[in-house]
Amino acid sequence: MTLLSVKNLRVTFETETGPVEAVRGVSFSLGRERLGIVGESGSGKTMTGRSVLRLIRPPGRIEADEMRFDGQDLMRLTEREMRALRGPRIAMVMQDPKYSLNPVMRVGEQLMEGLRKRDRLSRPQARAKAIAALEAVQIRDPERVMEAYPHELSGGMGQRVMIAMMLIPNPDLLIADEPTSALDVTVQAEVLKILDDLVRSRGMGLIFISHDLRLVARFCDRVLVMYKGRVVEELAAGDLLNAKHPYTQGLLNCLPRIGGDRGPLPGLDRDAAWAKEA
Amino acid sequence: MSLIEIDDLSVTFTAQGREVRAVQGVSLRVDVRESFGLVGESGSGKSTILRAICGLAPVSGGSIRIGGEVLRHDRAFARRVQMVFQDPYASLHPRHTLDRTLSEPLAIHGIGGADQRVMRALEDVGLPSSFRFRYPHQLSGGQRQRVAIARALMLEPEILLLDEPTSALDASVQAEVLNLLARLRAERGLTFLMVSHDLAVIDHMCDRVLVMQHGRAVEELTRAELAGARMQTDYARSLFEASADRLMG
Repeated sequence: MTLLSVKNLRVTFETETGPVEAVRGVSFSLGRERLGIVGESGSGKTMTGRSVLRLIRPPGRIEADEMRFDGQDLMRLTEREMRALRGPRIAMVMQDPKYSLNPVMRVGEQLMEGLRKRDRLSRPQARAKAIAALEAVQIRDPERVMEAYPHELSGGMGQRVMIAMMLIPNPDLLIADEPTSALDVTVQAEVLKILDDLVRSRGMGLIFISHDLRLVARFCDRVLVMYKGRVVEELAAGDLLNAKHPYTQGLLNCLPRIGGDRGPLPGLDRDAAWAKEA
Repeated sequence: MSLIEIDDLSVTFTAQGREVRAVQGVSLRVDVRESFGLVGESGSGKSTILRAICGLAPVSGGSIRIGGEVLRHDRAFARRVQMVFQDPYASLHPRHTLDRTLSEPLAIHGIGGADQRVMRALEDVGLPSSFRFRYPHQLSGGQRQRVAIARALMLEPEILLLDEPTSALDASVQAEVLNLLARLRAERGLTFLMVSHDLAVIDHMCDRVLVMQHGRAVEELTRAELAGARMQTDYARSLFEASADRLMG
């Protein structure tokens, strides 16, 4: 069943030197599965994710032939209707917990804010739900974390708090934008495992945005590879090693490997033709 | 005799009456023209060791010797040892042109011929000479890191301290910068002490690696031991298992 379908998405920014197209004709559809979007900085992967939530500020502009989520046309919804979707139906986990949590509010208050205001729960009910959410992301002493300010948490803890917060309303679609890039490798593996278990057990759709091709291959079902605002290749994650597009191959080959030959790493020869629209 | 000798080094920060022991009794040796890696998670003390060598961290015990001499942070030190920092966005002066950034060390040390030296430095790191009067904000992250490397090499040091030099860069740009560093090391016979959280990067660049955790040395591995997964400690093994390039399976 298709949860989200996007056809010919374009994101344009008006600048002094003329319009810049950050996303140029991206199409994809997503069921209750894990879709990875990979590419380098500036490839338009984050903008694609944000477009789904219509979180692009003017002078940025979103255009699409179609952007449907669960039967609703996202392009035609009013701002008020969009707000009802953001959070409860479609949630987004940002890259860096340091910049995405409110630094002057205790974690518990931030977790309970939505429950109190949106779901009109009483304080004790909201608190119980918030603690359950922290336990779901395997935070061992949720009582302490509830009372902590974001700066008192490590990066991995902060990112778990973000994930807990996004999952409280039980969304149908989770968009995770580089959720583990700011974390150490061992913590990264833990956070991914938590995310994976939650997505599976709740049957959510997931869009996982990352610059790390190897991580995405391990973690997702399907991968879109973006270059300069376009999807240059779409493939099943298991087939990544058989990628056909020279850009995808280049991204894979330029990474050093443990036990590799230590010769110069192959550079990525970019071909202007890859960026052209088919 | 090793070029860099660190014995029983401890670094202790004091904040609000609380002591944080960032490095505790770490010893290591780096030979001339060797490339030595420090790997570990955030807070393991790996960067603090580099900063201690440069006099940027409060050493509370042990000793650091370069070429057999006890460390003094004078001008002669700057000519032997230079550092490249992690974030190329933060480590270049935003209002200095590349020309000024690169010629300043020459002016401080009274070295003439700045004109040719700056031009050659740009060429050595693969930047076009037309970049000479640009500002950092006009460059990409990879180009900035090339400038930071060029600056570190202006005084022709023997030792480069590299603190996560590619972790802020895209994979393809990382490959270019690693290739540049490897080429410069071979051409100039440099000694590297390199910090990274990425075991694959360390393996690609270094002959030996010291795994660190919570400020302590956990295990030292040669490249062959790392590639053959012959580590003795559980922690080194868990880092190895979690390393991104193992994930492809």
